[in-house]
Formats: sequence, C-alpha cells, structure tokens
Amino acid sequence: MLKNLKTAGLAALFVGSAVGAAHADKLQDVLDRGYLIAGSGSTNAPWHFKDENNELVGFDIDMLRLIAKGLFDDPTKVEFVNQSGDARIPNLATDKVDVTCQFMTVTPGRAQQVEFTIPYYREGVGLMLLDGGDYADYEALKAGGSDVTVSVLQNVYAEDMVHAALPEANVDQYESVDLMYQALNSGRADAAATDQSSLSWFMAQNPDRYKDAGFGWNPQSYSCAVKPGDQRWLNFVNSVLHEAMTGVDFNTYAASYQQWFGSELSPPQIGFPVEFK
Amino acid sequence: MDYDFNFAAVWRDFDLLLSGLGLGILLALISIAIGCLIGLLAAFGMLSKRRAIRWISLSYVSAIRNTPILILILFTFFALPQLGIRLGKIESFIVTLSVYAGAYLTEVFRAGLVALPKGLREAGLTIGLTEFRTKLLITIPVMLRNVLPSLSNNFISLFKDTSLAAAIAVPELTFYARKINVETFRVIETWLVASLMYVVTCYVIAAVLRQVETRLAIPR
Amino acid sequence: MEILQTLEAIWLARTAILDGLWNTIQISFLSILLGTILGIIVGLILTYGNRAARFAIRIYSDFLRGTPVFVLILACFYILSVVGLDLTAFQAGVFALTLFCSSHVGEIVRGALQAIPKGQTEAAKSIGLTFSKTFFSVLLPQALRQILPTWVNTATEIVKASTLLSIIGVVELLLAVQQIISRTYLSLELYFFAGFVFFIINFAIEKAGRYVERKVAIPT
Repeated sequence: MLKNLKTAGLAALFVGSAVGAAHADKLQDVLDRGYLIAGSGSTNAPWHFKDENNELVGFDIDMLRLIAKGLFDDPTKVEFVNQSGDARIPNLATDKVDVTCQFMTVTPGRAQQVEFTIPYYREGVGLMLLDGGDYADYEALKAGGSDVTVSVLQNVYAEDMVHAALPEANVDQYESVDLMYQALNSGRADAAATDQSSLSWFMAQNPDRYKDAGFGWNPQSYSCAVKPGDQRWLNFVNSVLHEAMTGVDFNTYAASYQQWFGSELSPPQIGFPVEFK
Repeated sequence: MDYDFNFAAVWRDFDLLLSGLGLGILLALISIAIGCLIGLLAAFGMLSKRRAIRWISLSYVSAIRNTPILILILFTFFALPQLGIRLGKIESFIVTLSVYAGAYLTEVFRAGLVALPKGLREAGLTIGLTEFRTKLLITIPVMLRNVLPSLSNNFISLFKDTSLAAAIAVPELTFYARKINVETFRVIETWLVASLMYVVTCYVIAAVLRQVETRLAIPR
Repeated sequence: MEILQTLEAIWLARTAILDGLWNTIQISFLSILLGTILGIIVGLILTYGNRAARFAIRIYSDFLRGTPVFVLILACFYILSVVGLDLTAFQAGVFALTLFCSSHVGEIVRGALQAIPKGQTEAAKSIGLTFSKTFFSVLLPQALRQILPTWVNTATEIVKASTLLSIIGVVELLLAVQQIISRTYLSLELYFFAGFVFFIINFAIEKAGRYVERKVAIPT
C-alpha cells in the first residue's frame, strides 16, 4: 500500500515536472501558437478603450501591439482578453493571458505576485486649468490659498492628495471624471486634479480650452506584467519595451505617445546610451 | 488539483471581512425600513380609486422590478449627479436599495391588504375612527403581521444584494473579499470564507426572524 | 439637443450594442436552460431521494441560495481557473448563473411536487401505474402549472443577474454600454438606455409568461 502510494507520488512528480518543463518556455509557446494572448481592459481612455468603430485602442493596446510586432512582425497578431482591474493578477497566475498591459501601478506587494517589466509610463497627479481663467499656473494656485477650489475624483485619499500640492485649497470630490471636468467648466472649481494621463488626453481632445498648471506629484510607474518564473519571456517583453522607448521602435512609441497624450517626445540622444548617464 | 490551502492570509484580514459583514447587515436594515414606507405608500396607491395614482404605483413597481439592480446602483451613483443630485457612496446605495426594496414590498403589502377581511375597516369606522386612523391603527398592523414571512424573505434577499455595493466601492464584505483575493491570490480560501459568512448569516437571520414571526403571528 | 446627441451616440455604436445584447441573450438563455434541467434533477432528489441524497442536495441548494449571486460569479471565475478548469469569463459566468438558477428551480419543483396531495400517487399506484408513468402523466402536468409563474420570475432574475458578468469582463449589454460611456461621458443617458432595454426584455418575458399561464390553466 505504502509502496503504491510512493510510486503514485513519484509518477505525479514526474508528470508534474514534465508539464512544468513544457510550460517553462512561454516565448516558444507563443511563437508556436502564432498569436499573442494579451490582457487589458476596455473602459479607460486613453489607456484601453473602444473607439467609434468599436476597435480596442489606447496606449496600453499600442504597447501590446508592439510586443506582437516583435514576435510575429505583425502588430495584429494579438487576441485581447478583456479583464477587470482585479483580474489582472489572477489571469496571469492561471495562464489565461501571456502578458498584461493595463495601466498597472508597480508596487512591492504586487511584485510578489507577478513579474513587472520595465515601466513604459510614469503616471502622476496633475492640475488642469481653464485657459484664460483666474489662475495662470501652479504658483498662482498656491498663492490663492484657501480661495482655490480643486475638483477631484472621489477617493479616501483625495483630500490628502490635493493638500500635498496645495495645502490650503478646498477639495470638492466628484463621482466620475466627466463630473469633475464639468465642475471646472462651470466655475465651481478652479482646477481639476487627476492622473496626468487623463488630463493630457482630455486636453488633446479639447484643444485650446484648457492648460496644464505645470506641476505633477505622486509618481507611480506603469509596467506590463508577466507570470513569475520565466526569465526568457520577461527579458523578451522588456527588450521590446526598452527598444520602443530608446531604440528601433522609438518612432512607433513616440507616435502613440503623441496620439494619446498630445505631446511630442524628443528622440533619445545618439551616442552614449541614455540609460547609463 | 494542485493547490495548497493556506487560510492565514484570510484570517489576517478577518476583522475587515467581519466589519464588512456588519455594514452589509446595517445597509439591509436601513433599506428595508425605508423600503417598507415606500412599499406601503405604493401599495395604497395601487388600490387607490384614482386611475392616475394606480398607474404611477404600477409603473414604479414594474420599472424597478424589471431593471437589473446593478444598473440602478450605477445610475444613482454616477448619473444622478448630472441632474444635481449628489450623494455619497453609502447614501447613494441606501437610496437605491430602498427604492428597489420598495418595489418588491409593494407587491407584498398589496396582496396583504387585499386579503384582509372587509369587516376590519368597517369595524374601525363604526367605532368612530377616521379613515386615516383606521389604516394606521388597524389595517396596517394586522396586514404587517400577516405578511411577516414574506418580509423576512425580502430582508434576506436584500442582505444578499448588499454585496453589489462593492461595485461602487462601499467597503462591505464582498468589497473586502475582492481586495484580499487580489492582494493575496488565496482564491479558494477567500471565496469559501466569504460565501460561508453569507450563508451562515442568512441562516441566522432566518432563524431569528422565524422566532419573531411566531411571537408576532396572530393566534388562530 | 442632448437627446439627439445620445441617439447619435447609440446609433454610431449600434454594432457594439447589438453584440452586447446578443451576449446578454446567450448568457441568459444558456443559464436558464441548463439551470432548469439541473434544477429539475435537484427538485426530484429533494422530493424523492433517499436520506443521504436529500441531505447532500439540501446543503448544495442552501449554500447556493445563501450566497449572493455576485459572490458566486466571482468565486466561479477565480476558483475554477485555479483548480485547472480553463474556462473563459463567459463560460465561468454562465456556470455560476446555472448553479444559481438550479438551486432556485430545485426549490420551486420541490414545492410544487409536495403540494400535490399524496392520495393521487396512491390512486395511480392502485390502478397499476409505474412510478415513471405516475410521474409523467399525473404529477408533472399539475406541477408544471404551479411552477410556471415562479419559474418566469426566476428567468427574469437570471436576465437581470447577467449584468453582473460585466464585472468579470464579459462584454454583455451593460459593459458594452459602459465602453461607450467611457468614450462619450454620456453616463446619465446611456445608463438609462441600458436600464430601459433590460426593462423591455423582462417585461416581454413577464407578459409571455402570463399568456402561457392563461393558456394552460385548468378551466374552472
């Protein structure tokens, strides 16, 4: 009986390791499959959302297409898996997706569950003003003291977040981004504080109506993520992102950046590699 | 199945789950209280002699009962502010759940009122009570005691519906369970504990309410 | 103007909305169909099963009915993938709704079968009918009539609960509409639109149910 159990255990171990070995090389698996399975969302502009033609677009989506281009020389060889924010880690852990790019903030806690790639965007909080409004920039807002009202998305930390930049300002919390912007338009707020990326996108959509106050704080890194334990696959995705920001695919990255955030990037300096400066 | 059970992560945050459970029960209690008032009004509306009032009550019940509660929750929280009605998360959820409960309770109360013997109202009027006082002192109390079992059932389903408050980040049980699920990825443990907490609470509520029912039931 | 803008946004996104609606219909239809089949088995075991089987199914049914359907969906979505069942969000969601539906249909079937007077089974036996004959030609036709109204209710509950699949990323009608909201910011108008579509679907189901009920009623 005991012997049987042992044999069964050994057999299970053997099968287990065989399965493990077969799945250790994600890069080869994806190449053999012929398309990338990528996780992202569908309801957050400019990161991942459906455009007028019902196509999934956004900065995250462009990053995933870059990875597909790196794999198959064809950015359309991607199958997108639509996932909610809290499915990002579980879907990687259970192999439902090969890689996730979904405005995922890098935190040490999450880094214990998944492996993060290098960051492809540095998010932060920014302030948006009406062009030609009462306050010209961040300094003017700061000088305005308690006369200034800032609209912000409802959040437990919202008050502290605004006060970190404008200690005396009044904070008015709203339930959604559009309501927050409406408060600015109607003059109920002097500035809107939210993710720099959302502000950039909104300003790009409505040119000449708003301007950036020119101050950003609360930095956080956005990275793609893969399932832990496959260094080759992680290296591959890292290489794609790295060369998108500094190398052969810079033009694609810059065009995407321009499209979604409305500003032009200057090309990386030629000569000594920027990352070792 | 290759899974090592480890409940430590769930026990570590068990106080959060418990506080979430408490909030859920509280939300259900407040909502059923408000829902009862709405339900009573609408039930009398359904039995009104005036066609317009009957029609309004009927439309309310039909519209709310046939719309998914998730959409009602999102509408109240995200869309009503555009009309100038701004409520906090918890207040917004209570309003939604009360209006939702009201629609179901209208049906319960209407049936309860119809089932009452006619003599009850006549008796009240004969001893000199006004129409309003007859309703308040005789008709409604008797009807409420008759429909207690349906009220209990409604309360239990409202309690279960409080799980949807997680969709607008109200920190109740499901909200914390999702949080623990994502942070620790102890998937089976988290959901097993969370659903057991719901099931046990439903059992306890049902047992308590059955006691209340037998105490308050009209002796026959 | 606002209405025109909304109608234009809806018209522009018509394929996305129709795709979402089609998913909603598929989810609801599959869950109701599979849940009803499973539920009839549950109801039969609860009524005619031996002690052990009754006990096991009683736990199954009570557990599912005590857990909020939202928690059930999240649990199925996360747990099934961990235990190695590679289901898509759509499949996991339909699985959860099927379980939910089966427990409710099970109770309905049990209630209906138990409401039939015992004398009928005995009478059938005494004229020499086998159990299956008794069941299909005596008990079932009566039970079905009684089941119908509550079953229609359960069906509309499933249609409403299908919106919860939006939270695990299934692009049914609600998520399709939310995708449009995230682009156009028309939350008031579009949430109202989504609610209205569900109202129409459920209202139609309810009316169809009433019609069938009248058709099959035993003339009195």
